[in-house]
Amino acid sequence: MTDGSLRMLDEMIARRAAQQAEMGIPAPHWNLENSGNSLDELLSEVPCKQVSLGLPSQVFSSGLNVALQRWPVVEVESIVAPRPPALLPPWKPHRQKVVTFGITFPEGEAFLTPKPSRESEGAEKNTEEELVSIEPPKPVSLMDDEALAEAKKKLTRLKPPEDALSIEDRLFYLLQPPLQSWLAGQELIMPFEPFPYQYEGIGWLFSKSSALLADEMGLGKTMQTITAIRLLVRSGQVRRVLLVCPKPLLPNWQREFRTWAEELPFVVVEGDGERRRLTWTMPGVPVLIANYESLVRDFAAFGEGEFPKFDLVVLDEAQRIKNRTSRTAETARALPRRRSWALTGTPIENRPEELGALYEFLEVVPPNATPDLRQLQYLSKQFILRRTKNLVMKDMPPRLDRDEYLELLPAQKYAYEKAEKEGVIHLNELGDSISVQHVFELVLRLKQITNFDPLTGESAKLDRLEADMEEIAASGGKAILFSQWTKVLDWLAKPMSKYGALLYHGGVPTKQREPILKQFKEDPDSHIILMSYGTGAVGLNLQFAGYVFLFDRWWNPAIEDQAINRAHRIGCKSQVIVTRFISKDTIEERIDKVLTEKRELFARILGEGDDCNSSLSLNASEIFGLFDLKARSAKGTKSIGPK
Amino acid sequence: MSHGNQDPFRMGFLTAVEDAERGFVGGLLVTNRFGRPLEFQCTAPVKPNRAQQILYGPTLRPFVLGELLGRTLIEKVGVKPHLVLIESEEILDLRLHVPMAVGCLLDKVTDDTTQLALGKHGIGFHPDHLSDRTDLVRHAKAIPADADLREPFERVREALAETVRLGSARTA
Repeated sequence: MTDGSLRMLDEMIARRAAQQAEMGIPAPHWNLENSGNSLDELLSEVPCKQVSLGLPSQVFSSGLNVALQRWPVVEVESIVAPRPPALLPPWKPHRQKVVTFGITFPEGEAFLTPKPSRESEGAEKNTEEELVSIEPPKPVSLMDDEALAEAKKKLTRLKPPEDALSIEDRLFYLLQPPLQSWLAGQELIMPFEPFPYQYEGIGWLFSKSSALLADEMGLGKTMQTITAIRLLVRSGQVRRVLLVCPKPLLPNWQREFRTWAEELPFVVVEGDGERRRLTWTMPGVPVLIANYESLVRDFAAFGEGEFPKFDLVVLDEAQRIKNRTSRTAETARALPRRRSWALTGTPIENRPEELGALYEFLEVVPPNATPDLRQLQYLSKQFILRRTKNLVMKDMPPRLDRDEYLELLPAQKYAYEKAEKEGVIHLNELGDSISVQHVFELVLRLKQITNFDPLTGESAKLDRLEADMEEIAASGGKAILFSQWTKVLDWLAKPMSKYGALLYHGGVPTKQREPILKQFKEDPDSHIILMSYGTGAVGLNLQFAGYVFLFDRWWNPAIEDQAINRAHRIGCKSQVIVTRFISKDTIEERIDKVLTEKRELFARILGEGDDCNSSLSLNASEIFGLFDLKARSAKGTKSIGPK
Repeated sequence: MSHGNQDPFRMGFLTAVEDAERGFVGGLLVTNRFGRPLEFQCTAPVKPNRAQQILYGPTLRPFVLGELLGRTLIEKVGVKPHLVLIESEEILDLRLHVPMAVGCLLDKVTDDTTQLALGKHGIGFHPDHLSDRTDLVRHAKAIPADADLREPFERVREALAETVRLGSARTA
């Protein structure tokens, strides 16, 4: 068929369709599925209407009608399909396999059911699953209600330690409940609501296997440590804890454990050698409390590898091991343990290197390592938590310091000048054989005279103290007096007896100390307690005392601060007045000047408001300088403070 | 002292996080009545395929979170909870596939007898399993009245985010 004839056919069909449309005839719908074999059959399907067959003659002239009557030739050829025709499978939801991962938490120790309160004793017995009525923790009254409510909103969550790399370890910490709900008084009973910074400290200790808690004195290191131990025991992380403290603090730790962890059994290592040995090896005791001396002695008594293992060893007043070659330090490092914590308010007493000894105990530096300043800073960030009162206790009543510069009384002055003159002459006579001990002896003698004249008993400080005490006793107040010498304290006991003076120093047997403190707290006629720095400066809670007297000065302001903080600590409700007695134009004034300058220098170096972090004792050069003498030895940094 | 994990009443906190690239990660934390963790199970990320997305339509999420992840986790967990808590009613149908009670946490406690007051919240149950409420009434007393039952879900989400983060770090 030519293009011309095709065009004609198209035109014809179009014309016809137009005509049919004009006449109302619908276009045929070809149903191929139902189609028959002939055109008639095909057409029979179409709804038809009689129409005139008068078609235009030019259609016939095309010759197409003949072609329409001829059947097309269809050839069938079979082909091979690449695959059998696919039938669509029916889709049905199936259970997909899901990969899972899980951790099981260690089975912790459940604490004993707390004793029911007296009110509820008569009431019906609780069923096993009902909650026992427990009083919620009492908030310490240093914050107002609004501040407390605000602090409560912030929940303290445990964070995984930086060195926890495995997913199990990290999830263990992440999935623990917030400390506030853990310690909310149902599972663990807290007698007092901790402060937010204390929650932070507890959480930090919990997640650390090596930690140095160096909060300033009075911020509750003891409570934070005990609570962290409770949580570790409760969550099955530790089963055996050893707490080592100085001997005078043993009663204090026992009291604190009874207060903060009523349900946690502890045993104090004491008695004769056989009994102590038995205590060390006693099974099933979660907490052992020992003092440094008995630890050193008993550790040596056990054979190598025989000493019992501990999950956690805590050293209180850890500056005790600052000398890393001492037996105490060596013993502490040799203790078999998994976790090591150290507590101290003065991580550096004299030199930053002292931290090295503590880090060695914490096993974060190799043995005998001497980390440089940059390394120390890095380690401090990771392993030390230190908060000062200035930073965390903005609402705490103020501490008012006043330095009383007192003129010596005539007899005192005569004795002092004579002793100084003779002493200096003697020192000069010694020439090159002079040692720091010689100068130190003179300083001590002069300091004693500033306290009182040994011949006449005259004392400007005592006169002043009596005047102050009269006022304090009249107002029902209580005062703590610190001195370096027990002899001075004994001497003061007599004139102070009218104010119900109590003595508390190293000469008082340990068993009598607790009753003395109790009497000082409860006896309204007891207005003053006379304490030595060595025995009374650490670990005691005397926040009910509003006055502190430093009768003479210690060599190290950090120790003085510790002493002052017996009264100025959490729980104190009113301001604490601290009076330092300094005799004018004497060695005391000169020492005070040197110490003040050094403290300022140290604060500038450490910064961050840490003005009482650690301070420096006088070194040999400085002690020689007190008498305008020059140190004969090149080793000018030797500390001369009394041991 | 006695052992702590034999608590008379244990709760499971079931939730999931969605990672845009990897899909859903489900987690179940079983705690004692005070919220102390006893066991934690989580899944590998599950991403629904195109067919599932088309065929499940709006029911895809309940299917993945409930039937797929929730049911698997409950079957896998060793310390079985007495009550599994969920945060969304859309996965309450999980109850049809597991043998223990499933409760949906509601913000308000109402007088509705089909609900149960637990801690600070109300708990809703599957309409076909309202008897769960009766079984749990005696346990409800063991839960402190001021218990915040939403808090453990935060822990689970944080743990799941950590697993996804560590998983990504390992595959990177």
